[in-house]
Order: sequence, then structure tokens, then C-alpha cells
Amino acid sequence: MALLPVALTVTSCKREERNFNTPPPNVSEAQTNPSFKNPLEENAYSLSEGKRLFSQYNCNGCHAQGGGGMGPALMDEKWIYGARPEQVFATIVEGRPNGMPSFRGRVQETQVWQLSAYVRSLSGHVPKDAASSRDDHMQGKPPESRTKEQPIKNTSPP
Amino acid sequence: MKILFIGPASVRRRRLGAFAAVMMAALTLTCSRTTNEHPSAGPLTAAAPILNKYTQDNEDGLWTMPAKNYASTRFSGLSEINSENVKNLSLAWSFSTGVTRGHEAAPLVVNDTMFVVTPYPNILYALDLTNAGKLKWKYEPQPAAFSQGVACCDVVNRGAAYANGKIFYNTLDNYTVAVDASSGKELWKTLLGDINKGQTMTMAPLVVKNKVVVGNSGGEMGVRGWIAALDESNGKIAWQAYNTGPDADCLIGPNFKPFYPQDQGHDLGVTSWPPDAWKIGGGTVWGWISYDPELNLIYYGTANPGPWNPGQRPGDNKWTCGIFARNADTGEAVWFYQLTPHDQHDYDGVNEQILLDMPLNGSTRKVLIHPDRNGYVYVIDRTTGQTLSANPFVHVTTSSGVDLQTGKLLVNAEKNTDQVGKVIRDICPASPGAKDWQPSAFSPRTGLVYLPHNNLCQDAESVETGYIAGTPYVGMNVKMYAGPGGHRGVFTAWDPIAGRAVWKINESFPVWSGALATAGDVVFYGTMDGYFKGVDARNGQQLWQFKVGSGIIGQPMTYRGPNGKQYVAILSGVGGWAGAIVAGQLDPHDPTGALGFVNAVSDLPNYSTTGGMVYVFALP
Amino acid sequence: MRARQINWGFLTWVALVNTTVAATTQSSVDPAGPQAQHISQLWWVMLYLLTGVFILVMSLLSIGAFRRRSKAAETSGRNVIQTDSLRETKMARVVMGGVVVTTVILFALLVSSFIVGRTIYSTPKEPTVLTIDITGHQWWWDVRYENQVASQIVTTANEIHIPVGRQVVFKLNSADVIHSFWVPNLHGKTDLIPGHPAETWLKADRTGVYRGQCAEFCGHQHAHMAFEVVVESEEQFQAWYESQLKSAPAQLTSSQSRGLQLFLSKPCVMCHTIQGTDAGGKVGPDLTHLASRQTIAAGALQNNRTNLSRWILNSQDVKPGNHMPPIPLNSEELNFVLDYLESLK
Repeated sequence: MALLPVALTVTSCKREERNFNTPPPNVSEAQTNPSFKNPLEENAYSLSEGKRLFSQYNCNGCHAQGGGGMGPALMDEKWIYGARPEQVFATIVEGRPNGMPSFRGRVQETQVWQLSAYVRSLSGHVPKDAASSRDDHMQGKPPESRTKEQPIKNTSPP
Repeated sequence: MKILFIGPASVRRRRLGAFAAVMMAALTLTCSRTTNEHPSAGPLTAAAPILNKYTQDNEDGLWTMPAKNYASTRFSGLSEINSENVKNLSLAWSFSTGVTRGHEAAPLVVNDTMFVVTPYPNILYALDLTNAGKLKWKYEPQPAAFSQGVACCDVVNRGAAYANGKIFYNTLDNYTVAVDASSGKELWKTLLGDINKGQTMTMAPLVVKNKVVVGNSGGEMGVRGWIAALDESNGKIAWQAYNTGPDADCLIGPNFKPFYPQDQGHDLGVTSWPPDAWKIGGGTVWGWISYDPELNLIYYGTANPGPWNPGQRPGDNKWTCGIFARNADTGEAVWFYQLTPHDQHDYDGVNEQILLDMPLNGSTRKVLIHPDRNGYVYVIDRTTGQTLSANPFVHVTTSSGVDLQTGKLLVNAEKNTDQVGKVIRDICPASPGAKDWQPSAFSPRTGLVYLPHNNLCQDAESVETGYIAGTPYVGMNVKMYAGPGGHRGVFTAWDPIAGRAVWKINESFPVWSGALATAGDVVFYGTMDGYFKGVDARNGQQLWQFKVGSGIIGQPMTYRGPNGKQYVAILSGVGGWAGAIVAGQLDPHDPTGALGFVNAVSDLPNYSTTGGMVYVFALP
Repeated sequence: MRARQINWGFLTWVALVNTTVAATTQSSVDPAGPQAQHISQLWWVMLYLLTGVFILVMSLLSIGAFRRRSKAAETSGRNVIQTDSLRETKMARVVMGGVVVTTVILFALLVSSFIVGRTIYSTPKEPTVLTIDITGHQWWWDVRYENQVASQIVTTANEIHIPVGRQVVFKLNSADVIHSFWVPNLHGKTDLIPGHPAETWLKADRTGVYRGQCAEFCGHQHAHMAFEVVVESEEQFQAWYESQLKSAPAQLTSSQSRGLQLFLSKPCVMCHTIQGTDAGGKVGPDLTHLASRQTIAAGALQNNRTNLSRWILNSQDVKPGNHMPPIPLNSEELNFVLDYLESLK
């Protein structure tokens, strides 16, 4: 029982850690290891960086704040090209045939992982204590920290 | 549905007097005319504008261009279906397009064939009218799938045009194609833009004197707007005029004589932008083109400047959000009038121009009627570009009017969104404007313009946005909602001379379909919850309605079939910007979805699902 | 109590003078403009006056501390303090006088500080001819010169050029958190608060390069959020302005054009603008005239080839936490990119 606060403190330290110079998760490992987890999904700083990049790299131009527009919604249970972190990573890097552009080379790898983590946070697939709890802009949907984890359904494009 | 008569009793009384006088004149006229006329003829307005004489040809019963004629009246002289018998209108046949995105096109009818162009993948169907719409052939241009990702507001197409045995239309991936109308064979195909730079094409071409006039879309993607004329026989570019940049690129030369001083000057398409911003400044041509054969001028509106965030583009941002008149042969600009300088709210100027000859202060003026997104119906002298009147047709908070002396929009600076990070509330009309693309119709019998439009307001916040080629270039967070009254759409009958609404029908959803006026004094339009309606052109009384499969955002049209009967046709298939929530399966929990439109229509999925169907109606 | 506060203030000022005087381009006591002149004068007045007060107070304190009790009292061994009513009255007068003098001094300082504040933050007297929009970002400065003719607007970053002797108005805004705009040689501080544009103005009396610095803690690299104000003659300023209006050169050597292609296909293009190319990012500074600037990384490094390559390959080593990611380039590619960037004069 006494260890609990200590454990909590340690995990929350991890959650708040800001590593500016650590190498990104290994892509080939992520794609071959079925139990791969993106460590950045548990880190509040990485998720908030993902959120910042999501609008600065114009992702929100098509996907809005997760509800979609020119591109599909990202906050619902529907996944066209897979919900796993490395699949989201691949979608950003490779692009997808029905309109998702490829950002290969143009977005640095760590940032792609941060974006992948943020995209998954939109439908509640990251720890609540790490997910962003506020918007810097006009409030749209409730913040990611209050997003319920959605089931995952694989669908085809609309 | 509620019909509202607008205006003080005195006005109505004067109107009745005038009505009686015109009735007398009409009665004497009808004696010398064929009996095809619906008996209760007589303009509703004090002094009815008459049609440009080039649109007064005998009714051929065809529909060869989405706007019916060069004057863009969307009025048919057919009167078999009239206000008396329209209640008996019933389904003749239907045809499924097999595509389930937003169907904004107008079907065309040439002789015994109907031509229907679908949204992406832009299939062209030829349907046999002698055989209940049996498929004759189809043409599949197979546009690049990637183009779907750069189409700002659903993958729509606004229709085709017919001339000289050919059907011309644009594909989403920037080809203008010519297809043989009898065989369905592709005759030529011209590439006009790059989807990787965010360019698409969605507008309906206009064929003028052996030239196919087309323009591009992509004002939300940082493209540079242009209009081009292609040789009808081989698809070669005859001329191309940009709407931003140096005068030479815009085909602005010695004959360019804008009416107002603010539109006069050298290279305004460069100097009214921060350095190089004009290269990605929008001003696209995705709306309607009209043509006056006597003046040999084409008229079209230019779309919004990019990005939406106005703080990133100080200046008037010429030549966006305005109307150009150009020589149809050379493309040379003759005049320009900027409706919304330094646009703050995405008020594209792409709406149709209805060309009329209208009595004003004792003389007949050649005018164009332009109901704009900024909330005003403009009456503009189409020879000079002078604004004769501009009256609001919706609740407007972003401006207080138009100064007719200077031609300037009197902008309400409180609603400006120049400042990044500041949320501005109660912006009316919202970004889709008082009226978006949905084209209006004009009936010379009532003298009224029938406006399908929106009643939307919004909150907006500018955010800094970078230009990344092929991605959106918007920089605005938007939440739209219903304007005063709580209804989101209105169908308005507008008196262009008095500059006021005669009647209005409030609709729950934005009226995102086009309008059709007929000599039978029935006006048709469709609603996003799937009702195709016929209303009395004089008083807005609903006479008939039919529930179709999916919501309607298409353009109704009418034609005389091979059997001599009158038919009315409409495409059903909800989508477009307003229906993106259904067509794109967007999440209603994010109010900023579809550039903020989701918030205004989050209940649409409860009323309509996707679809794609041609419905054709006739009297039994 | 009052004396202790004055001492703290004094120590702070001394510390500041020591640090700022060392760097000749950033100093409050080397004014180059009327406002800085006022601030500096006030500072000297306060320094002299308060030094006097300090010495006086310390002297009195020392006297009090070291003054012995009277011989009589000591020899008699009595503990009772004898009151001398005449003396009491005299001492009361001294104390009263001290209170009055302190009040007068503080009041005088208050008034002069108020007057200086009013003067330096007053609305500009001359008609404004030059207005510059400054937007603070974590951790750099976006600089935009307003102009009636939109195509004459100049955008740059971290380096502000102004003509000598001309009043310049600054419009200040922030893109993220609160920053503060401070050029000690020219003016006091003005905060940049997101969503609440502020305005200030200044005028430089003599040419020179003056360092400015963010003066409100704004995150990891607050200390490395500097900029330079280059005060130059009217002619030099006009020439500089003209050169800044130009787009990036279209005529490129083969290695420069390779560099441009790399710039457009690497992460650079997501964040930076180079006018005249497809690069239109707004996350980082405008690089159209990068090579014309003295420093990079908001004053953190001198602008030279070595520092540029350090910065591009891994800026996190230079300014940990800044928003620029390491750019994966091999040495050949790096050289192409550097060749291109050095052409952006």
C-alpha cells in the first residue's frame, strides 16, 4: 500500500518526461512484433506535440479536430487502413490511394510517431492521464482525455 | 413549412394595381400567342424585368446546359405541368447512378436522350427517353482516386454541357472531356491542372461560339484560380485567364474599364497581395458562367482568396470575390467588380448571374442579377459593371450594406477575423454564405427570382496556417449554426426591381438544390431531407411533393419527351459541403468537421442516407 | 522594512549593470533612444539618490550600533535607562524628520517614475510612417513590416531593421504563450499576450546593432529567444527593405538547385517559407533572406556555414526542446542544402 504513491509518482514522472534527443521507435520492429506498443502514447509531451503538429501540418484541414471533412473522421470507431500504431504510422508515411497524401521524408520519424499517438488518442486508445486535456483554440469536441475508448471496426472508404 | 408574405400592405396594394394593369396587357398579348401559355399569366412585380431577347427563343423543350440558357434563367416555357395539375405529378421512371456521393449536377436532355454526369468517378450516362430511361451507353473517364482527397467539399460535379453533337464536362482530376453524344466515344481530353497542388474541377462548362469555357476549383487548397476556353473541336486551349497575378496573366489590357476606382490600376492582382501570395491566392472559378451574345461578354464570379485567415493576406486580394466580364473570343477582361474586397468569411463570388433587361428609373437597363454569398442580391449594369442596387436577402451582421456611390461593401469591422486566435461570434451569413453554389431561377411570368439558400451563422477563429502543397490552406476554425428563426434553409421569391422578398418558405435544412421555374407557374426545388417540391410561383403555396430516396442537392430540370409530354427530372444523392456529414460519414461529435458545417447539420444522418438516383416525373 | 527593499532593488540593479555592460549591444544604461534615455536617467537618479540614502542609513545604523552608553550609566552599574525628556524630544524630531525625508524621497521617486512611465509609453507624437508587426513564437520572433501596398510588405525573423531618427510603431502579438519584447538600449519591456495585441513605439537616435531579448519566461528556450535591432541610415534601411522584398533567386547553380529540391522534399518544407518557391510553412521563421541575417536560431548562433550545419543536423543539441526536429541528411545532401541556403541573400 505504501508503495502505491511511489509507483504513481514514478509513472507520472515517465508521463511528463520530455526527451528531446531520444531516437524514435524502430519501424521494422514495430511492423514485425505483434505486441508492439508505441512508447510515445504514454507520454503527455509526445501526445501534445502530436496535437500541435496535427494542426501545424494541416492534418486538421481534412480531418478537422477528428470529425473529418475532406478526409475521414478519426475519432469514431471506423478504421479504413488499420488502427494499430504502426498502421497509422504507415498511413502517414506512405499515404493512401483515396486521397491521403504521402508525407514520406517530409515529416521526421519521431514526429510521425507523435502524430500516430495523437491520432489514436482521438478515439481514446491512449492512457487518459497522458492524453491532452485542453485545446488552445475554439473548443470543438471534448478534449482527448475525456474521450471514451471506441471499439475498433475495420471498414472501407465511404 | 411556413410561407411568409413580406412587406407592408401598401406595397402589396400598389403591386395589385400594377398587377391589374399588366394583366390587361397580357390578355391582349395572349390573343396573338399560341395557347401553350398557362392562362393566369401576368407578372407579380410592379414592372417586370424582361428576358434578354436571346433567351426568348421558342421553347424547344430541351435542356442542353445546366442553366437552361446563356442568361442562366433556369426557366422553361413548357406549361403542360401547371399550378392546377401539378398535384397529379407522379414518377415516370428512375435510374440509379451507382454512385453515392453528393449529386449536384443537372441532367441534360437532347432530343431523345438524357445525359447524367455523376460525382467522382464522374461517369457519364446516356439514357434512352423513348424507353423509360434505359441505359444507352456510359462513359467512364476513370479519374485518379487521389483527386478525392483534394476536393474541398465532397467530390461533386455540377453538370455537363451539350453542343454540336458533343457532351463536355470536367473530371475531378482536372480533365475537360468531350464525348460523342450519340456513341459515347471520347473525342478529346485536355489536362488543365495538377491534383498534387490541390487543384480539382467541379464546375459545369459553358459552350460559347465553338469554345468550351471551364474553370478550376481548390480555393481551400492554395491553388491559383483561372478560367479557360478550349476549342470545342480539339480541346486546345484558346485562351486562359488567371484571376490573380500580373495583368498579362489575367488578360487585362487596354479595354479593361472597371466602373469603380478601387478596381482600376496596374497589376492590382499583384499589388493587393503580400509578395507572392497571389500565386496561392485562390480566386477559382467553380461556379456559373453566363453569356450575353449581343455584347459578346461572358460573366463569371471568382471564388474566395486563400487562405481563409485574412490576416495572412493583407490587401484587397484582387481579383477574388468579384465578377469578371470578359470578351468571349479573346478572354480579354472588360470590367470587374469586387463584391467582397479582402474577404473575411469565405464569401466566394461564384454565384450565377441572371442576365435580364430591366426597367429602372424610366429606362431599360441591361443588368445581371447576382445573389451573393455575402448576403446581398446585386443588380449590376452588365455593360459597365456599375452596381445599381444591392439589397440583403438574409440576416447580415458582417456588413451594413453596399454604398452605391462608391460600390464599396460597408464592412462591419467587429466581425472581422484578421486577428489570429480571437473567436468572433455571430458571423452572419456563415462561410457557405447566404447562398452557396445552389443556382436560382427567374420566371419572366412573375418577374421574380427564386433563390434556394441558407440561413446560417457561425463562430470563427483565425489560426496561422502554412502552405504545404496538396494540403488544405484554410487557417480558420469554424462552427456553424442556424440563423435567426432556427431554420437552416430558405426558399425565397425575390423581386429584383423592388429589391425585396415577396414570399419565403422556411426549410429545416439548407436548401442546397437548384431551382427551376416553368411557364406553368410551378417552381421546383428539393430538400436535403429528400423531398422534391413543386410550389406556386406566385405565392409559394406548396402544390406537390415527392419523397425521394436520398436528400436532394441537385438541379431540377424539365423537358418535353419524345412523346410530347412534359417531364421534370432531379438527381437525388445527398452530399456536397452541406451533406458531407452523410456522404463522407463524418463524426457529428466534432462541430468543426467539414469546415464547421457539421455543427449546423449534425442531425442530417437521421433524415437521409447516401444515394444516387435520377427521378423523372410526369403527369399521368 | 523600507530600507531592506531599497537594498534588494539596489543589488538587482548592480547585478544587471554588471551583466549588461559586458555585452556592449545590450545595456539599459547605454541609451540609444529617447525612451531608453528616460529610463536610464531615472535609473541614475535612483542610483545616486538611493546610494545616498543607503550610505546615510548605514551610517546612522553604524553610529547607533557602535555608540557606547554614557560613562555615568556604565560606572554606576544601574540598569535603569534614565530618560531625559529634552533628549527624547530631540530624538523624536530626528525620527520624524527621517520619516518625512523618506516619504518625500519616495514620493519624488514615485512621481518621477510615473512621469517617465507616462512619457515612454505615451502615444507617439509624430505621424507613424513605419509599423512593424512582431509575433512571438516559442522560441523566435516573426517580423512583418506593414505597408499600405500589400505587395510591399516585408516578412523576416529575429532581425529588425529600422531607420535612425524615425519613430517606429510595433504591434505585438503572441502565437503561443506570453513573451515580452525588450530592447534595453532602446526601450523598456512590453508583453506579448496571446489574443491581446499590444502596441509600443520607439525611436533610435544613433545607428548600431542592439540586442533584444524575450523578457518573460516562456519555456525551455526562453533564454535563447533573442533578436537584433539594426539601426541604420535612411538610405541603408531603404536598400535593405528593397532587397528583402525580392523573392529567392531563380537562377541557381546545380548544387543550389539540388539543395532546393532537398529543401522541398525534406521536413524543411513543412515549417519554413522561402518566397518564390513552393515552401510556404509558417511554423518556423521565414528563410527567404536567411543569408542576409547575422544570427540563426533566434540569436543563439552566429550565422555561418558550420553553425548552420550544426543546427540543421541536430538543433536539439543546440537548443534542446525547440520545435525543429533533426533533419536526416548525408554530408553530400547537407552541402547542397547549405549551398542553397547561403544563396538566400
